[in-house]
Amino acid sequence: MNLSRNNIRLLSVSLLVLLLFPLTGCWSSHEIEEQSFGVGVAYDKDKESMVEKEFDKQAEGYPKKNLITSTYQLITPQVASSTTDQGGPPQKSYVNVSETGDSAFQIVRELSLRSDAPLTSPHMKVMVIGEALARSYSLEQIVDQNLRDNDFRPSCLVLISKGRASDTLESKKAGEIPAFRLAGMIDNTYRTTRILPPMSLIKLESKIQSGSSFLLQNVLSANGEIKFAGAGIIKGKTKKMIGFLNEEELDGVTWITGKGKGGLVKSFDKRTGQLIVYEIESMKSRIEPHVKGNNISFDVHIESEGRLSENWVISGNPLKNQFLQRAQKNAEKEVKHLIRNVTKKMQKEYQVDVAGFGNQLRIKHPRVWMRVKDNWDQTFSEVSINYDVKLTIKDYGTSGSKK
Amino acid sequence: MKGRGKMIISPKDTITTPQTAVIVINFTLGTGILTLPRTSVEKVHTPDVWLTVILGGLIAMMAGIIMVKLSLQFPEKTVYQYSQEIIGKWGGSLLSLLIVGYFLTTSGFQIRSLTEVTKYLLLEGTPTWAIIMPFMWVGLYLIVGGINPITRLFEIVLPITVVIFLMVTFMSFKIFEVDNLRPVLGEGIIPILKGVKTTSLAYTGPEIMLLLVAFMKEPSKAVKATLGGIFMALIFYMITVVMVLGALSVDGVVTRTWPTLDLIRSFELTGLIFERFDSLLLVVWMMQMFTIFTMAHYAAALGLAQLFKKSIHPFIYGVIPIIYLISMTPKNINDVFKLGNMVGTLALFLFGLLPLPLLIVAKWRGGKQ
Repeated sequence: MNLSRNNIRLLSVSLLVLLLFPLTGCWSSHEIEEQSFGVGVAYDKDKESMVEKEFDKQAEGYPKKNLITSTYQLITPQVASSTTDQGGPPQKSYVNVSETGDSAFQIVRELSLRSDAPLTSPHMKVMVIGEALARSYSLEQIVDQNLRDNDFRPSCLVLISKGRASDTLESKKAGEIPAFRLAGMIDNTYRTTRILPPMSLIKLESKIQSGSSFLLQNVLSANGEIKFAGAGIIKGKTKKMIGFLNEEELDGVTWITGKGKGGLVKSFDKRTGQLIVYEIESMKSRIEPHVKGNNISFDVHIESEGRLSENWVISGNPLKNQFLQRAQKNAEKEVKHLIRNVTKKMQKEYQVDVAGFGNQLRIKHPRVWMRVKDNWDQTFSEVSINYDVKLTIKDYGTSGSKK
Repeated sequence: MKGRGKMIISPKDTITTPQTAVIVINFTLGTGILTLPRTSVEKVHTPDVWLTVILGGLIAMMAGIIMVKLSLQFPEKTVYQYSQEIIGKWGGSLLSLLIVGYFLTTSGFQIRSLTEVTKYLLLEGTPTWAIIMPFMWVGLYLIVGGINPITRLFEIVLPITVVIFLMVTFMSFKIFEVDNLRPVLGEGIIPILKGVKTTSLAYTGPEIMLLLVAFMKEPSKAVKATLGGIFMALIFYMITVVMVLGALSVDGVVTRTWPTLDLIRSFELTGLIFERFDSLLLVVWMMQMFTIFTMAHYAAALGLAQLFKKSIHPFIYGVIPIIYLISMTPKNINDVFKLGNMVGTLALFLFGLLPLPLLIVAKWRGGKQ
């Protein structure tokens, strides 16, 4: 009796010890040193890289149409370790790999035929879509794979590039990772009105599904340098890009939506023709839809408080309220100009509503919206919009009177 | 009969009122936390879903009260025992078997949807059985101890769930947009009513009171415990639906398979120790899935034991293969959701419609005696 009890105890203890073995590892783990971390991706219309052309020359490959070129920005184990090495010339801290094909997913998997460290994408920060691709394919189809994927997070930012998207993932500065630079630049909204609120993949999905037109931040590239310059317009019906707003027009959109967090308004004094700069501290806008029968119109009330940050008018004395008011009026006029300018562009040239007028109509007059939403962009191009802009200069920095 | 009932439920096996409420919450929150925003918006199509969630909760509360009142008619007896007293031996046995079947299917469904999520988003490459089996074994280990260990574990799990879940969902405030929740009642009340069935099915859970009242130290407080439990679940669901809709919008949410998970995957916070919180949410959710699974497993085994008037232990082991088979029946994820709907419809009949006539008959018979 006692013996058998001991035996049982021995058996169960050894079983317990055996149980420790499964604790040592994950079922299907992959060593982190054997992975390439994708941090950015650029989608372009087909343009095979030199390497790919060479591969194709040597062997036949697989049946595909060359429609999309994906460029992945990778931080590979080799790169990561080489940057920590001391001595030697500073190296690039990223690798860009391009692959062409017709399926975004197949392109990703093709990469595992070219490297021992296949791509994993849970750290993707940005996705840049090239103009040519965005103009010819629906965004819904382009991002489908990424939204479906378990690795690719919906928090990834989406940008548009006039020109080739892959060029925006280049940098000449040693140690800089272009994808991180792009993702970081989005945070500069407190300095300028020319950056849109971040559009992550999940927000893009709800925009796409809602069927309304919207904007994507545009990024330019030249010689390894990049710049945010305006925005690409995506038409809600086709989900394709139809054109761009330039930086000035984007200013106007930001004023209408009131989503800006900082930035400036540059205006010229009417009397002297000299420069006055108003710096935005806060910005508020209220879009008020009015419906009378079949007639829809909008009132936009914009309010902002700010500071006189630069003043070239020698005679102007900010210590006097009279001058402040003159400066205010000037800036207001400029803002109105910005808004009118972009409204004209939206209504007449592109016939899209990308400033959220439809959204306010949906909220304030849901039943009217039900009726007009299918043809909203068309309807919007003919509605009348009134603006009312009120800027207040609160202070003028550390310089008072000029003389 | 009464003596036999006591033989199976030993006098030590009693639970307090707060413990009962905890079981009700834990047994309510399951797969629904991850899918409710989608399933309800699919029916409602307006941002008023949160009103539907409240309405569903109220309906669940009503059903809960009826079930508790029914159980209170028969002190210290579970539904498996008293159903025979109400509608006779055969009818009662059949009903008990149906309820056992319901609990088995529930636990099978919950464990399967757990594997669906973990297999795709957490443990890619791990075979289904390798996720299900350890889960079941741990559950078995707990259940063998009876209702008391189960309740104590639930008591530990719930506060952790509440804290982490609230923390993680409120962190999504960064991508929250009030406009996505407006207008309120823009298309009137009709859309809200369309979703009531879906949302009230998300509250299946109070049916556990059909058994629990028998275990309660103070059965007179059973109504309070049930209402408290459902109310907590309502708050959970409200927060989930509001935060998910606020970030993903009505149009965006319908395309996501697991919207709540996508909400947490859609933001990163820099500057904290963690940047991402999906695994935290998954951990909490898995604990909830564990509680709902073990409770259903226990309820089914208890039912069979009381039906055949035998010890519960062989049944606890015996239903394991059945649950496993049920969980492996759905061929793809659509079948999984279909199974979930089936469980819901079954619950609607068994616990939504049936208890009221049973209560009336029981009262009438009680009056006659």
